[in-house]
Amino acid sequence: MSRDVIVIGGGHNGLIVAAYLAKGGRKVTLLERSGEVGGILRNSEVAPGFTAPGIAHTVGRLRESVVRDLKLAKHGYEPIVPDVRLFAPQSDGSAVTFWADVGRTANELKARDEKDAARYEDFDKKVRALASFLAHINAATPPNVKTPSLADAFAGLKLGKAFRGLGAKTGREAIRALPMAVADFVGEVFDDEAIRGALISRAVLYSATGPWGAGTASVLLTDSAGNDGGAPGQSTFARGGTGALAKALAAAAESLGVTIRTNADVAEIRSVDGRVQGVTLASGERLDSSMVVSAADPKRTLGLCDPVQLGPEMIWRAGNIRQPGATAKVNLALSGLPAFNGAEGEDRLKGRIVIATGIDHVERAHDAVKYGVIAEEPWLEATIPSLVDDSLAPEGKHVMSVLFQSAPRKLRGTDWATERDRVGDIAVKTLERYAPGLGELVEARQVITPEDMENDYGLSGGHVYHAEPGLDQFFVWRPLNGHARYSFVLEGLYLAGSGAHPGGGITGGPGSNAARQILSGKR
Amino acid sequence: MNLALDGLPELACKPGVGEWLRGAISFSPSLDYMERAYDDAKYGKFSSKPYIDCIMPTLVDPTMAPPGKHIMSCFVQYAPYKLDHDREWNDAEREAFGENVIDTLEERFPDIRSKILHKMFVTPKDIEDWTGLTEGNIFQGELSLEQLFFNRPVPGWARYRTPVKDLWMCGSATHPGGGIMGAPGRISALEYIKAHRRGRRKVA
Repeated sequence: MSRDVIVIGGGHNGLIVAAYLAKGGRKVTLLERSGEVGGILRNSEVAPGFTAPGIAHTVGRLRESVVRDLKLAKHGYEPIVPDVRLFAPQSDGSAVTFWADVGRTANELKARDEKDAARYEDFDKKVRALASFLAHINAATPPNVKTPSLADAFAGLKLGKAFRGLGAKTGREAIRALPMAVADFVGEVFDDEAIRGALISRAVLYSATGPWGAGTASVLLTDSAGNDGGAPGQSTFARGGTGALAKALAAAAESLGVTIRTNADVAEIRSVDGRVQGVTLASGERLDSSMVVSAADPKRTLGLCDPVQLGPEMIWRAGNIRQPGATAKVNLALSGLPAFNGAEGEDRLKGRIVIATGIDHVERAHDAVKYGVIAEEPWLEATIPSLVDDSLAPEGKHVMSVLFQSAPRKLRGTDWATERDRVGDIAVKTLERYAPGLGELVEARQVITPEDMENDYGLSGGHVYHAEPGLDQFFVWRPLNGHARYSFVLEGLYLAGSGAHPGGGITGGPGSNAARQILSGKR
Repeated sequence: MNLALDGLPELACKPGVGEWLRGAISFSPSLDYMERAYDDAKYGKFSSKPYIDCIMPTLVDPTMAPPGKHIMSCFVQYAPYKLDHDREWNDAEREAFGENVIDTLEERFPDIRSKILHKMFVTPKDIEDWTGLTEGNIFQGELSLEQLFFNRPVPGWARYRTPVKDLWMCGSATHPGGGIMGAPGRISALEYIKAHRRGRRKVA
């Protein structure tokens, strides 16, 4: 069979880059290592009848243009957007709720802190304004810093125009905010620790860096870019579970002519004289193509290449890409709805439930990564997708998805085979403090460790974002300076996963940017 | 912390007197050690195991102490300005942190305690009281990215001018920041001269 392009990896970015390339007239074969496409969007069965998101549980950052261009609605993607964005129960029985409605949120915050409530609308506006500028950066191909072309100059002018569009005051604030620690960015506006903890949390989700890390404010703003999340971020679900979005992406790709092969494990990216020749599968089967687009992470991608072709300096640089996985996943099958402190019914529980009671709490949870231990007092982001989609659990029962921070991939003095259950125990024990009686509702439990993420999902270092978000791995430095324009190290090799600009999350940004760059024919 | 010493202390790892004692002596045995010292400060405590950078200036300038005696000057990290995020140091805590420092020094200089004649321990609050440096920050503002260059000290007022007419700034709070280099003073003077030489009365 003739083909123009081989895409490695059937996660969301792999499916998206494949679909766009096929739309652009290329013959594309996509190779997925496991038996099912979807990557971190795959559904996972916790127990018969209980469908949980494998890893990612919300999909609200997906680019509108991707949904439109690939006609995802026609292929079965149906987003569910609850009114609530973030619910943060506290151990004293109270709770803070952030709604999509900014005024409603500010009004409710009054009960907690009058001054913070008064500042909330302005902060939300600021986050939206700064994020709108980041959306322009995220949509751009990082410039060629070494030999800028006319196109780079135009892109620069466009970014400059977007920047000037912010106005002098907001523009100055953007430059100040991007390198800040999110603890300062949020802490200088709000005094209440419960409000601070809730708002900083998404800046460090999936990340090894804590809220005092430089540049974490830019992660918060990147998370807001391109959706209407505002200060508390998005809480959008896919009907049928995250796996349904993966299926819609696969259906869209196939309808555009992409050949998808599962159980096709790429063992080698073959190259001669620095030019890609094709791939060899673990089965020994050889597929030829002069273009290989990898949606796998950068370390894994380069690990598939011939080290002689890469050379010692590139191997050293690739080895230094920071991919310290720090997140574990706990999925729970529940016999009923847990009673969270301050929930007053179901509505507040329909978005992201965040257990992050202050800056110190979140920072301490991230300290654990530095010392190779599991956080004993983790911060958690949980969702109960069955509350908005009853097809996910048997009637009256629920499925709960819990992201656990921090659980480092590299443990000192122990290993993940030994510690797996402890993560589940700590998660349930922690939730119990905010939802008394939750433990008794647990019918089944599934723990996905960072080691599982590495082995089952192919994420080097167990890092869900492929490469740690950080100023040194942002834009022209993602994943490596000189190799940030999707064309990646070897001629004919491209990177289109979360390790490429604009980074991780269910955005489709790397996949669609990479496809645009490839189809433009520019390097 | 400053110490007046009755003779030179001896390093356990390299006994004797030699060139190695004449520069900076750094007790920063590992990244973990330094990070843990910082962790304490993040949560409003002083470091239980501080990291120390010390010099003995009397080795290069004997006039700083009576014959045979020595001075040891230690930079010690970390000591937050406020303890527990919101309260001032008390004398017992100053003593306790001083003891942590001497304990840490003793691990490297086993005979240090027997040499100490006088000790002076200075907290960030003391630095503020003695020198007027707000929060005892000797750089007049943390040297973090959001407070550098055109953001130093604050966005919009990085050109040595202030919102008050004819009030200028020239200290470490201004670009390029803290340290004994004199650059903020020099650049601010040049900027002031430039603004006035052109006869521009308005210098906003």
